[in-house]
Amino acid sequence: MTKSKREIIGIKSVSKIYNLGDTVVKALDNVSLSINENDYISIMGPSGSGKSTLMNIIGCLDVPTKGIYKFNNEKISEMNDNQLANIRNEKIGFVFQTFNLLPKLNSIQNVEVPLVYSSFARAERSLKAKEALKIVGLEDRMSHKPNELSGGQRQRVAIARALVNKPSIILADEPTGNLDSKSGSEILNFFDSLHKAGNTLIIVTHEDSVAKRAKRRIEIFDGKITLDE
Amino acid sequence: MNKILKNILIGFSAIRSSFTRVFLTSIGLTIGIFTVSIVTAAVSSVDREFAKSIESIGNDKIYVGRMPWSFEFDWWNYRNRPEIKEEQLDYINQYSEYVTQSSMKQNYWTRATYENKASWLQMNGVYPNYNDMMTGTKVVNGRFFSENEWKLQRRVAIIGGSVGEGFFEGEDPIGKKIRLGGVSFEVIGELEKTGSFTPTGSLDQVIIMPTTTFQRILTRWTWNEFVLQIDPNNREKAKDEVRMIMRVARKLKPDEEDNFAVNSADAFTKQFNQMKIAIAGMGLLVTSISLIVSGIGIMNVMFVSVRERTKEIGLRKAMGATNTDILIQFLSEAIAIAIIGGTMGILLIRTTLYFIGSAIANIDINGMGSAIDLQMDLLLTFYTFMVCVFLGLIAGMIPARTAANLNPIDALRHE
Repeated sequence: MTKSKREIIGIKSVSKIYNLGDTVVKALDNVSLSINENDYISIMGPSGSGKSTLMNIIGCLDVPTKGIYKFNNEKISEMNDNQLANIRNEKIGFVFQTFNLLPKLNSIQNVEVPLVYSSFARAERSLKAKEALKIVGLEDRMSHKPNELSGGQRQRVAIARALVNKPSIILADEPTGNLDSKSGSEILNFFDSLHKAGNTLIIVTHEDSVAKRAKRRIEIFDGKITLDE
Repeated sequence: MNKILKNILIGFSAIRSSFTRVFLTSIGLTIGIFTVSIVTAAVSSVDREFAKSIESIGNDKIYVGRMPWSFEFDWWNYRNRPEIKEEQLDYINQYSEYVTQSSMKQNYWTRATYENKASWLQMNGVYPNYNDMMTGTKVVNGRFFSENEWKLQRRVAIIGGSVGEGFFEGEDPIGKKIRLGGVSFEVIGELEKTGSFTPTGSLDQVIIMPTTTFQRILTRWTWNEFVLQIDPNNREKAKDEVRMIMRVARKLKPDEEDNFAVNSADAFTKQFNQMKIAIAGMGLLVTSISLIVSGIGIMNVMFVSVRERTKEIGLRKAMGATNTDILIQFLSEAIAIAIIGGTMGILLIRTTLYFIGSAIANIDINGMGSAIDLQMDLLLTFYTFMVCVFLGLIAGMIPARTAANLNPIDALRHE
């Protein structure tokens, strides 16, 4: 990590507070974090530690209660729903533990989903989707539906979907959680190569073996960052 | 615009994946549209037939008879009224400023036979100038009777448009001898077939003859009417005038009620409009109930669809779908269901009308068949379509808003 790299994410004293009737839950407590271009970060923490909340805020699915969140120097914390949707669409690629592919659509159509919400023509969409599927090595599975694919292949379709809009960051939430160790390590190897290709990766996990691969490890506990190395 | 279209397509594609459910739901609307269309088609058909009848009654005529053209028929009051007599027509001809032509019209129903065929038909005894006063139909084959034939009480007859078909089966009726009330008449003319009705029956099922012959051969006990030609612009004045003349002719005292009625097409229109409103009102009630029920059905299915696809909504939102995107997607799904139902309704109504149409054409009861002409035009189909879109929009709004306002985090976590 060198200072010359551009900062993509700048989180300054961000808190997320849930008001559940009598009790006030501080899911995130005054967290500050800076993520630069081509970082390869793992976020670890037990359940309830606030890592999901942090991930949701980084992914622009949620807005902080307090503090400033800048994404590419734009103040996310002050954006409305439509602006957030736009950021998610263009700048962030999500990879989920349960893949979250749409079962009725084939691989190409699944990869096309983010493109549908940006302004691409149909031909361009399918071209981009095919390119992304080639990157993840699924050019021979383009018209297969998710139930005709193995777990590893499904996750690769999901990664292709995350890559298709050429996002600034890729946000993976337990990407190997639902996979056997062999396809899990395949996926992780693939993440390594994505990092080498210059992508910025953030992986949320609770597996040490996954976290070790990352170049920077962040641990979070009780809404506070306890380790950042 | 392109973006809206894409969301609509996503919405439509959801239909394909749950077609049975969509199909069953849309049947509700099919029935709704079916009733709407039947009622509308019926009303517009009745309307059209009525316009034809009005044409044959004539806007430029008033009719004097014992009874008013009304559905509120006080038979016991009217039946004791004195007969309309021919000499009273002389009064009208003598004193009226507005009546330009006049004819007696005597009505009587009797048995008409030709060879081994028989039918119960309406006989009309009229004056020779009735030929000039007929509206809605005219002599298309042969001729009307002449002044001389009237004076000489000749047994000549002009037959209505569908009488000839029944009796002569395509042969030229002119010169044929038919028996009316047991007496032989020569057919000298045939009227154009109209398919329309007057308050006294179908214009196609009449036999017209001179009043003189009518009274000599058939009966003196007839239901008489005066047919008076007027300028339609002066109709009300003419009716008032004729009424006063009739009161004088019948020697009514000032405190006595009219014992006759001056009728014209507009009175008939008023009655008809009431009937039409009643039909339309009933139809509207049934229709709105079935539309509401089918709307609730669509709404219900949409709620199921939103619930079932909560995770998809979450994913789409994470991938950058805005609330509006999701709203449009689910609205178009609801509209698609409505359109499917509506299209089935339109197809159903079209086939039904087709079969009703051909069935009636085959039966042809006393020429009535040709008069019942249920039709449905393109404009109506378009309106039906718009109703479907509107209904889908209304029924889909709440579920689609629910979907659009889902929090992406919760939606993604939904199992």
